[in-house]
Amino acid sequence: MGINELVTMMVQTTFMNRDVAPMMFSRLFALLICALVMTGCATAPAPGDRDAVADFEEINDPFEPTNRGVFTVNRALDRLALKPAATVYRKGLPEFVQDRIGDILANLRSPVIFLNDVLQGEGVRAAHTLMRFVINSTLGLGGFMDMATAMDIEGHDEDFGQTLAVWGVPEGPFMMLPVFGPSNPRDTVGLVVDFLTDPLSIWAVNTDREYASFARAGVQAVDARSDTLDLLDDVEKSSLDFYAAIRSLYRQRRADAISNGKGSANFPAPGLSQSPLGPVLDDNEELSRSAFR
Amino acid sequence: MILNLSSYRSLTGYFLGAFLAFATLPALAGVEEGSEKFVRSLADKAVHSLTTADTPRLERIKRFRELFRESFAATSIGKFVLGRNWRRASDDEKKEYLTLFEDLMVVTYVDRFQRYAGEALKVTKSRAENDNIATVFSEIQRPGGIKPIRVDWRIGTNGTIYKILDVIVEGTSMSNTLRSDFGSIVRRQGGKVAGLITALREKTEALKAEAQ
Repeated sequence: MGINELVTMMVQTTFMNRDVAPMMFSRLFALLICALVMTGCATAPAPGDRDAVADFEEINDPFEPTNRGVFTVNRALDRLALKPAATVYRKGLPEFVQDRIGDILANLRSPVIFLNDVLQGEGVRAAHTLMRFVINSTLGLGGFMDMATAMDIEGHDEDFGQTLAVWGVPEGPFMMLPVFGPSNPRDTVGLVVDFLTDPLSIWAVNTDREYASFARAGVQAVDARSDTLDLLDDVEKSSLDFYAAIRSLYRQRRADAISNGKGSANFPAPGLSQSPLGPVLDDNEELSRSAFR
Repeated sequence: MILNLSSYRSLTGYFLGAFLAFATLPALAGVEEGSEKFVRSLADKAVHSLTTADTPRLERIKRFRELFRESFAATSIGKFVLGRNWRRASDDEKKEYLTLFEDLMVVTYVDRFQRYAGEALKVTKSRAENDNIATVFSEIQRPGGIKPIRVDWRIGTNGTIYKILDVIVEGTSMSNTLRSDFGSIVRRQGGKVAGLITALREKTEALKAEAQ
């Protein structure tokens, strides 16, 4: 089954009788395809060059020239709007206010997390998410206070991209989405399904209150960016190719999220026989130490 | 284990736990135990040499360079990061690359290392990957009840020395990220390691100027 059919099927099952959503989705997809076609693709290496072919497959970024273009635009948008807003948010607002905003956003996300816990067959995690939602929506005054964490019911995140991964759908080539940032076809579908299955956005669409969705997405973006201010500055400062570093970090973060922190592509979980991909101790390690002095 | 001595039951649990700990001790000895000890002593050293208040930045960088040489398997990491381009490089290029790589790591990791291997480091468990490699799992505690950061240390040993092969923060590996980053530069420079060395030189010079 191709990605397109899969998407159509999901949209149909999640959004029966609502014709606006598939239309929005197909527009987004069309926009994306246009962007990709406009700047073209990376040229695949000659089939004879084995090393180059291996590189090309490992990097799995056939739209790299386009992606880099989108990345440049995204960085400009970040510098102009998101980063300044996130900096004001982090430094200008009292910590108490930031915590309450974070708690409200997390509580609003609970239904989507719960749905994906269930779709992944994670019973205990689903129960935790449900308990958190009930506790925080009542005792926590409508999500205003994270009472569940105080009661040792810790939160976690899930999304439909992760669910697809658990179901065995491959990630596909790397994609840099305008505004949304690093992604791939699987996570792009996930992003759309998360939006379509979110109770708040369903309510907003059905009552012509789209602004509610936009407002929440805006606050969410600023809140999320404020968490990565130091991290992204660090990466930008220390990397030679910021784009390549972000591409690698995104994939590693997703692999970690999909395994719920129990192992990732380069860091296999216990029981997996494959050896971890990483450096091995060099025979000259002690010698090389003295060579530096 | 939190001990509540007022309760008879937990006292029994404590003795049982102590007994089990001794019973399983021989199995733990080896690459895991040695690596755990190494990570703990590393955290102590980081606390003592880096976190003294009002130490000037240049002095901290100097001290971290010592710590880096002592505890990071810089050659092993450098080779892995370069991948198959290592074989393509000349001896002079290898030497210059490793020197510049150390410079980059020292300047960019001095602050991060303090964050990850400071007082807040708590070793949670360890696992032998094979006879020469173990992973030590740790958590960096943060104030105000915020979720701790997961930091996994991959440690390599030849029986006598222990060295850091990789630092994995929340599932993202330092060595693998560097490998993608540097690999991309080499590719864009037409497969030439010389191009990477030029980029590294420019980067480290800019960072050094900033550190002054």
